[in-house]
Amino acid sequence: MTTVAAKSETIFAANRAFGSVAFAVKSAGGKTRRAAVHEAGSLRVRCPGAPAAELEAVLINTAGGIAGGDRFALDIAAGRGTRLLVTTAAAEKIYRSLGPDSLIDVRLDVAAGASLAWLPQETILFDRARLARTIEVDLAADARLFLAEAIVFGRTGMGEAVEEGALADRWRVRRDGRLIYAETVRLEGEIAARLAAPPVANGGIAIATVLIAPGDDALVANVRALQDDLAGEVGASAWNGIAVVRLCAADGAALRRDLVHVMTALRGGLPRIWTN
Amino acid sequence: MRDEASALYRLMAWLSPAYPVGAFSYSSGIEWAVESGDIGDAPTLGRWLAVILAQGGGLCDAVFFVHAHRAIDANADGALRELAELAAAFAPSKERHLETTAQGRAFIEATRAAWPCAALDRLAATWDGPIAYPVAVAVAAAGHGIAVEPALGAYLHAVTANLISAGVRLIPLGQTDGQRLLAASEPIVATTAARALTTPLDRIGGAAFRADIASMRHETQYTRLFRS
Repeated sequence: MTTVAAKSETIFAANRAFGSVAFAVKSAGGKTRRAAVHEAGSLRVRCPGAPAAELEAVLINTAGGIAGGDRFALDIAAGRGTRLLVTTAAAEKIYRSLGPDSLIDVRLDVAAGASLAWLPQETILFDRARLARTIEVDLAADARLFLAEAIVFGRTGMGEAVEEGALADRWRVRRDGRLIYAETVRLEGEIAARLAAPPVANGGIAIATVLIAPGDDALVANVRALQDDLAGEVGASAWNGIAVVRLCAADGAALRRDLVHVMTALRGGLPRIWTN
Repeated sequence: MRDEASALYRLMAWLSPAYPVGAFSYSSGIEWAVESGDIGDAPTLGRWLAVILAQGGGLCDAVFFVHAHRAIDANADGALRELAELAAAFAPSKERHLETTAQGRAFIEATRAAWPCAALDRLAATWDGPIAYPVAVAVAAAGHGIAVEPALGAYLHAVTANLISAGVRLIPLGQTDGQRLLAASEPIVATTAARALTTPLDRIGGAAFRADIASMRHETQYTRLFRS
């Protein structure tokens, strides 16, 4: 490598954003309260309300988006007996990358008797974005999880498609140390062309997965009852003690409407910030 | 390493539609895709299969197959246990989980009875959870000294032929159309096998969202011939 190239790589690396939040909550007097907060780089966490039976926390990325080479880490711990809801202040934008992946590592730890709702707003991939994300969840035997993640390929409002890019989205969910759900969505190369295929998305550009633990056939029946009211397609299934809902829609707006329907039916409510 | 004729004899036995794993009763959601109109003739079935083989569950199962075979060859019990756990947790729906673990269990029972080998006993001693079908077949192949390439080719052929057979019965298609489709699938199977042989386990993955949804929707399909 030439000196100039080495220098430009160093400058590039130095200009990449990073951010991390480690956030833990504890239960005291029947309410969930902040126990430990560590913030670094461009990530912040705020709790707009007072301690409550269920504490609502909002993640804020002050960088306003994520570029290639950026690294973000989120470590959320719902302590024994707590109820925590975590969302984001805005949809997360993943910008076009000149080469390196944008990295997001999420760790969710839910202790005995605790419940965590992980409900970030959607992730929007710009054309030529490269996102490598991992979501690792550790549940105590009787912990509860409600997780919803949505991905939109391209800024629909601007008529943008993700002609090329890369998505590697790796989820591993353990209960009592045992792996109960694993998936890795891997879409690389000509993403719009691949989404066009009927077994993939039939031209849809917005997908979401909802994972509920514990989850059973009653939850699945609730989703099936909504089927005809949704703009896009939905499937739901329960096995291994979990329920999984998969949504696929033509665009981000349709997906959001469908996801709001499903979350309202299954949770009875949405994070306040979702409806602002 | 086992000689070629003997390897071929065993692979043909284990991956024949007559092997008692009940393969004929699974469609991987194709029954719903026919019901919903996504699949209606040989070309639409061919395009659906090409995606799920090369970019969906077919590719992921092939990667599990390769790594299970290597774990036996390397005597790596820790890697084998981790792989067996991951493969069983990787199903995207209740029926796809049933499809892979019920066939895996049936394959192990039949093979331990008729074609016993130490590798299958090791798998049972190492991992007490449900076993995905590709892991079961790969462990038996490695345990019998059958190289990974022919074993993986035979496994992917069996899966492809079985899904085509489901399509032939459901659409319905003529038997010759089914064979034309199987012939046309050969390069896709070859490409998928080649990719699986060079894919590290931490690079496993795929994307076939509507195929996953089809397997979920199949659970409540009104009249159905298949268990998945």
